[in-house]
Order: sequence, then structure tokens, then C-alpha cells
Amino acid sequence: MAGVRFEGVGKRFGSVEAVRELSLEIADGEFMVLVGPSGSGKTTALRMLAGLEAISSGSIFIGDRVVNQVAPRERDIAMVFQDYALYPQMTVFDNLAFGLRRRKVPGADIQRRVAEAARVLDLEALLQRRPGQLSGGQAQRVALGRALVREPQVFLMDEPLSNLDAKLRTQTRGEIRRLQQEVDTTTVYVTHDQVEAMTMGDRIAVMNEGRLEQVGTPEELYERPANRFVAGFIGSPAMSFFTGAEVGLNLPNVVGVRPEHVRPWREGLIGPLKGRIAFVEALGRETFVGVDVGEARLVVFEEGRAERDVGDEIEFGLVESGLRYFDADSGAAL
Amino acid sequence: MTSRAEQTLGYVILGVFSLIALLPIVGILFTALQDPDGVAAFGSLNGLHFENFKTAWEDGNFGSYLKSSIIVSVSVVFFATLFSILAGYAFGLMRFRGSTVLFYLFLLGLMVPTEAIIVPLYYDLRDLNLTNTYWALILPQIATSVAFGTYWMRTYFRTVPRSLVEAARLDGASTWFTLWRVLLPLARPAVLTMTVLLFMWTWNEFLLALVMVSDESLRTAPLGLSFFQGRNTSELSLMAAASVIVALPVVILYIFLQRHFIRGMLAGAVKG
Repeated sequence: MAGVRFEGVGKRFGSVEAVRELSLEIADGEFMVLVGPSGSGKTTALRMLAGLEAISSGSIFIGDRVVNQVAPRERDIAMVFQDYALYPQMTVFDNLAFGLRRRKVPGADIQRRVAEAARVLDLEALLQRRPGQLSGGQAQRVALGRALVREPQVFLMDEPLSNLDAKLRTQTRGEIRRLQQEVDTTTVYVTHDQVEAMTMGDRIAVMNEGRLEQVGTPEELYERPANRFVAGFIGSPAMSFFTGAEVGLNLPNVVGVRPEHVRPWREGLIGPLKGRIAFVEALGRETFVGVDVGEARLVVFEEGRAERDVGDEIEFGLVESGLRYFDADSGAAL
Repeated sequence: MTSRAEQTLGYVILGVFSLIALLPIVGILFTALQDPDGVAAFGSLNGLHFENFKTAWEDGNFGSYLKSSIIVSVSVVFFATLFSILAGYAFGLMRFRGSTVLFYLFLLGLMVPTEAIIVPLYYDLRDLNLTNTYWALILPQIATSVAFGTYWMRTYFRTVPRSLVEAARLDGASTWFTLWRVLLPLARPAVLTMTVLLFMWTWNEFLLALVMVSDESLRTAPLGLSFFQGRNTSELSLMAAASVIVALPVVILYIFLQRHFIRGMLAGAVKG
């Protein structure tokens, strides 16, 4: 088992800087999620760690070893690919055993480790099938199993859930988390889905345009975002931003507020503010109401199913403790 | 949606063109079976005289020609396939300096017709004392086949999901192992199709054989057929029978391998 460290790691593709000066320490046994929009450099960072992309500058450590020049197969890592990348002509058993055979693991050990992985991932009935005969969820579990049997120092996962339907994704999210805690192996998990990041990561590294914006626990990122980008990226529906002038309040700088801190008007809130309803998302247990106030759009949170109509006026207020302030120019949290 | 009328029209057009394509072949078959002593008329059937094939085979020395053709074709196809797989793998999946320029160099080999290089090639091979040997037929055809084969295999390897290769790398497979055990089993339809094409072209190559060999025992089947036809211009049924003999191996190989062509082996490799 080993931790992972990025030290000033950069990657250029021609004139494009995909990753800039990335420094990030991942503790032994930690589940680290790299999250960001597409083109943020998260996948490139993962691929450099895997050895599938060369590093332009800086160093990557696995444990105490600098792996910049180490071949992928010598890095003792296992990766789960977005498209699973199962060997189509081989049975599930052979897919799982492939990496062990390449590493000259004795036959009896292979049998034992594959059987164990098959048991944990509920693949026992599928061992003689080929990938073409598997459902998406089954193929996904085989891909996980192929990483698991290797018993590597580090698991790398590149958006492994993005090809599953919503229900299966939620289920597999918990499954991966449980497995990781059981084997206690350092894991670097890449996703663009902030819900995955929030529910799975011990810590989350938010990336944007090749830069690391913030690293922290899900709670830290949610409660104390370092800048406007992180504040807007983490949380769903997203945080709303406005200036005091836009809504007619005497508030400094750029204000950010999450829907749960924007409520229908009552005493004790900042306000009242008035706006016109732009959209209504009634989810049953809660309702999000998008409201246009001057130039700004805020999202009001209401418990239960609220009867609102688009175009109507609504009166609401802000919870003071929920307001976050950002520098108008740099976007940094104040 | 295509309407019934459109569908019918489609079938009629396809049927007419199939007929145009098939008629000469049927004509040759029928002519080959005609009574050799009767009045020769192309395409009419006046009996089933299979002895024409025997006569043509013996008179035309086709045993020797076919042997030469098989030696040349099998050697060319074997080595060209091997080299094409290796070169296509490199061009398709590896990143290296100069790969684009090198690849265009290969393409040049695909674009230059035999007629353009046959004269200098003859002198080159004569200097090497290789004219009038099988080498003079095999080596140049490996070269031209590799130009096409590399292009073909590169195109195939480009369609392989990169993640599959990367997964094998991380699993500890060498480049060599990845090619032969992970990728090639999937490439079977592509390789077999290439094999048939190369075999067909090599088998039917005429000009090179005409220029490079003068020894009767080295002559390939198309060349032998040409000489045979020159000698038997009046015997239409024998000429037709000889044509069938020369064309048959390619047809047999095609029928034998064609069911492998279309089979998409990549289904289930990755989620599409």
C-alpha cells in the first residue's frame, strides 16, 4: 500500500497546457476524487499517474518512489476505464486472470484470487461468459474485478460509472466505496459528476482549466469553497451569485448563496426581495424555484411540493449565515 | 422508410447488374463444357464434356504453372501479411517521430503502378542475379503488397479502442504480447480479408511474371494461360477450360474464407 504525490506536475500537448503545476498529496488508503468539467485536466492527471501520458514537468511519487520514468506495468497500479476495455475474445475468468498471468502469479493463487473477486463482485455465474454476453452493469463489475484481483498499490478509476443508467450508477457508487474501504487501497477516482465526488471521496480535488482549484473534504468544499468556481461547481442546484446592487441590498462584493439559504419571505431573513419566477422544479420532497431579480437569478428552496407558476411574483429572503463573499475580480473567497 | 415500389426497383436494378456481371462467367463455364469437336460458339451449352479440363491441363502444362503460382502466392501472402500486421500496428497505435512521413512513403508504394517501375526493377534484379528465379516474382510483390497491407492494417488498428491497448499495458502485457494475443484475435476478419485480396492480386499478376521469368518451369498460371491461349486460338472450349482452371483457386479460397469477413469480432469489447 502506498500514497501518491504530485509535485508541480505539468503536461503540455503542443501549445495547450492540459495540467499546470499540479501539487497534490494523496494519503495511503485514501479515496481521492478528481472532479472538474471536461478539459479541466483531471483525466490527464490520472493518465500521467498511470504512466499512459508522459510528464512534461514536475514529479509523481507512488510511495517513496519517483515514477516519472517507470513503465506503466512496473508502477503496480490497476485502472478501471470508462469504456471498461475488457478483452472481448476472452472469458470473464481470463479477463480477470490476464494481469496475474502476465505477472507470473502461480496458477493456484490465480484461481484463489479470481474466485475471491468473483465472489465479492457477484460474478461467479458469469466466469465462463465473454464480455459481449454481459450487461453494462456486469461488464462494469468485471472491469472492477480485473483491478481488484491485481491487489495493486493504487486503484485508478476514470469515470467508471458514466456508461451506467442512473439507478445502477447510484448502486455501484456505494459498491465501489464499500469495496475500497474493505481493501483499504489508495484510490484516485476521476469524474465530472459532483454528486459522485461528494458521495464517494474522502477528499475531493476540484480542477479547472488545468489548475487545481481546491482540495478538501466534501464538507469543506461545500461549506467553505475557496473561490467562485468551486462554489458554483459543487452543489446541486448550483450556488447563485449576485451583487448587492443587482438585488437592491447593501451587501459588499459578489455574494454567493445556496438554494437552502434562500427561502420564502419570513421575519429574520435578509430582505424581503421580490422577483419573477423563471422556472419551477418540483421534486416532491422539495421544490426549487428559479427567480429573476433584476440581472441576477436566485434559486429559492421550499419544503414539499410548492404550488408556484412561472411568471408570478415571489417574495423571499436570504439566511445570513449562508451568504459567502467573493472578490469581484479574482473570484477568491473573502 | 423505403416503400414497396422502391424496394422492388432496387431488386430489379441489382438483378440486372448481377446478370451483367455473371453472364461472362457462366458463358466461360458453358464454353468449357462444350463438345471439343463440335462447332465452337461462346456461351452455348451442348453437353457436359469434362474431359476438356483434362486435355487443357495436360496440353497446357498447368500442373507446373499452378505449382509456381502457389509457391509465389503463398510466400508473398505469408510474408506480406506478417509485415503488414507489424507495420500497421506501429503506424496505427504507436506514436513515434517521423511516423507520418514514413507512412506516406508506404502510400507511395500503393500509388505507383507496376508498369512504372518494371524496367528499372528488371535491371536491379538482373544485377542481383535474381531474374529468372522465384525471388524475382516474390520479393517485388511482397513490397507492393506490404504497401497496401500496411495501409489496411493501420486503418484497422486505428479503430481499436485505445483503452484496450492501455489496459493490456497496465496489466503487464508487452507490446509484442498485446499485438498477438489481445489485438490479433480481434483482427481476424480484417486479416482474412487482406489475405484474400493479396492472394487474388498476387495470383493474377501478369506483367511481372512476363518480364522477370523466361524459364517455362517458373511461369505462373496467368502467364501459362496466356501462352496456352496463344497456341490454341481455334479451340475455344480448351481455352475456356484453361481459364476456369486458373481462376478456380482464387474462387475456392474466397468461398472458403468469405464467411469470416463480415463477422464483427469487436462486439462487446467496450461499451459503445
